Amino acid sequence: MSAEFAPAAAAPPDVVLSAEHLTKRFGARVAVSDVSFDVRAGEVFGFLGPNGAGKTTTIRMLVGLARPDAGRVRIRGLDLTHQFRRAMEHVGCIVEAPDLYRYLTGRENLVHFSRMLPAGAIERIEELARLVALTERLDDRVATYSLGMRQRLGIAQALLGNPDILILDEPANGLDPAGIREIRQLVRHLAAERGIAVFVSSHLLSEVEQTCDRVAIIHRGRTLATGPVRDLVDRVASDRVRVTARPARRAAEVLAAFGTAAAPADEEGAADGEGRVDARIARERMPEALRALAAAGVDVYAVERSLATLEEVFLDVTGGETV
Amino acid sequence: MSFSGLVENEILKFAKQRRFRVVVLILVALIGLIVFAQSRGRERFRAGKDWHVETQERMARIQNWLRDGRMPASSQRWARFELDRLRYHLDRNIDPDAVSGPLFARGFANASSYLLLPLLAIVFASDVVSAEFAQGTIKLLLTRPVGRAPVLASKLAALALAITLTVLFGGVVAYVFGGIAYGYGGWGAPVLTGFRVAGERLDPAAVRTIPLWQDTILAYGLAWFATLCVGAIALLTSVLLRSTAAAMGTMLAALIAGTILPRLASTWEAQRFLFVTNLPLPDYYSGSPPPITGLTVGFGAAVLAAWAAAALVAAFAVFVRRDVLA
Repeated sequence: MSAEFAPAAAAPPDVVLSAEHLTKRFGARVAVSDVSFDVRAGEVFGFLGPNGAGKTTTIRMLVGLARPDAGRVRIRGLDLTHQFRRAMEHVGCIVEAPDLYRYLTGRENLVHFSRMLPAGAIERIEELARLVALTERLDDRVATYSLGMRQRLGIAQALLGNPDILILDEPANGLDPAGIREIRQLVRHLAAERGIAVFVSSHLLSEVEQTCDRVAIIHRGRTLATGPVRDLVDRVASDRVRVTARPARRAAEVLAAFGTAAAPADEEGAADGEGRVDARIARERMPEALRALAAAGVDVYAVERSLATLEEVFLDVTGGETV
Repeated sequence: MSFSGLVENEILKFAKQRRFRVVVLILVALIGLIVFAQSRGRERFRAGKDWHVETQERMARIQNWLRDGRMPASSQRWARFELDRLRYHLDRNIDPDAVSGPLFARGFANASSYLLLPLLAIVFASDVVSAEFAQGTIKLLLTRPVGRAPVLASKLAALALAITLTVLFGGVVAYVFGGIAYGYGGWGAPVLTGFRVAGERLDPAAVRTIPLWQDTILAYGLAWFATLCVGAIALLTSVLLRSTAAAMGTMLAALIAGTILPRLASTWEAQRFLFVTNLPLPDYYSGSPPPITGLTVGFGAAVLAAWAAAALVAAFAVFVRRDVLA
């Protein structure tokens, strides 16, 4: 199941981070089991799974906070366990929450963390403060920041070392819709304009669908599927069609013979007039179904293949378990 | 990405937290209170008598108690030591209870080394690591391109600096406040030192006279060393327990046990291998009768050093290896 079903990229992808068969046990419980994936330069990679699926444990292994029981992490080809310092020079991260020193100002926090990086980080503070729109509040104590501001300061902190890969754990957690949009735009900007590989974990399907290029789905410590977000959506979406026809009720009756079809809600007499019918009909039966509609005297205005949400993808790959 | 940068970070965190100011306030308030209470008590105690006469009277009182025979054994031991000590002072014409600002500062080293200074060291050390866990900042601290050992070493360096400053500050405040009450002069006054406990009596063989300033530096050096060792042990509890309250509670319990144990169980000799029993290094150096037999400065310093070294080895081993899952 965890095989890549995406067509191989034409050019060899520029892999920045690779997780190879990561496994982590806590006593008898296996928290993460044989998790593998690659994150490439310039892409936003989503790590999707419900709470408790093993996302944070995996991230802790990616950044060296926890040691895998089996498998390894490579960053720019460097083995994280054995070449920790050199590997971590390429990494910026926020694990779990943007926890910074609340009794220090934003600037003091950034100075603090740039002292732990190779020379040059301290000169980037102003530029990064501008990037995350914190210039005006930089000399206020972090305790006075909103969660969104702390999240942005956390991202500025993660970018101090000019990383090749940015690892963000649930960056949308606790943010309002405007805050989520800001983070999403920032993440897309970093990937597109600076070529940074961004790894984003989330339990929100819509978030991953809107932000990420590729996604790995993790459930109960195992990756169930890995591939481009579009491919995953298409896989489930392939038999979904939405037919706009008149009379809609008759159309639904005809289409039901070829698969499943739901009659439109009976509002404002839509059932007898023009309406939309959501149906699941296999691709190869579609021409036949359309001929049947014409024969039954139904006027067809539009036939659209509807895109599935990741919610449906998730239900599909987990075999019906909800997030 | 130099080690000095890491130490600078840790100093910044020390300085920006309220703890440091609280410790300064505690020292000032406490020493002020001691000076005030002591100078009040003294006026009544001496009542204008010549110190030779007063000392002889005190010796006579102690001898009476001893003859009386109703004293418990441990107090008898203490009374004999005290008798010897007073006699030596009288013989060499040195007032055993002289007061001056410098003498007060000197006395503060003894008074603070077994409880106050270790307590302040614990206040600093207990959350050096556990606070990073509590705030969640440990996850950022340990995902920088810096090894874990240098991170802990920088914390240790900043802690040692904070402890050093605290001991120095305590001495300076004691001198300033003592000076207000008793005058600032007298650093050159002779001090009898080198009392050694030999069995049930004081051994006068090594007793000699040194100027007060020299004696004071020695006493503070010993207090500083003992406090540093407590700091190292408290750092280990901070690493192991990952909770400031738990780390502080554990160390406080140990300190309190250390002050109670010798009184309740002075015959249990193995307690001399506990670190808390050896904290009053300046006392052992001045020749006060130790709470249990067999304690000397050299032995005490060795025991403390062994505890501190073991604590540091354990703290580094755990800190470097353990998964951060909090």
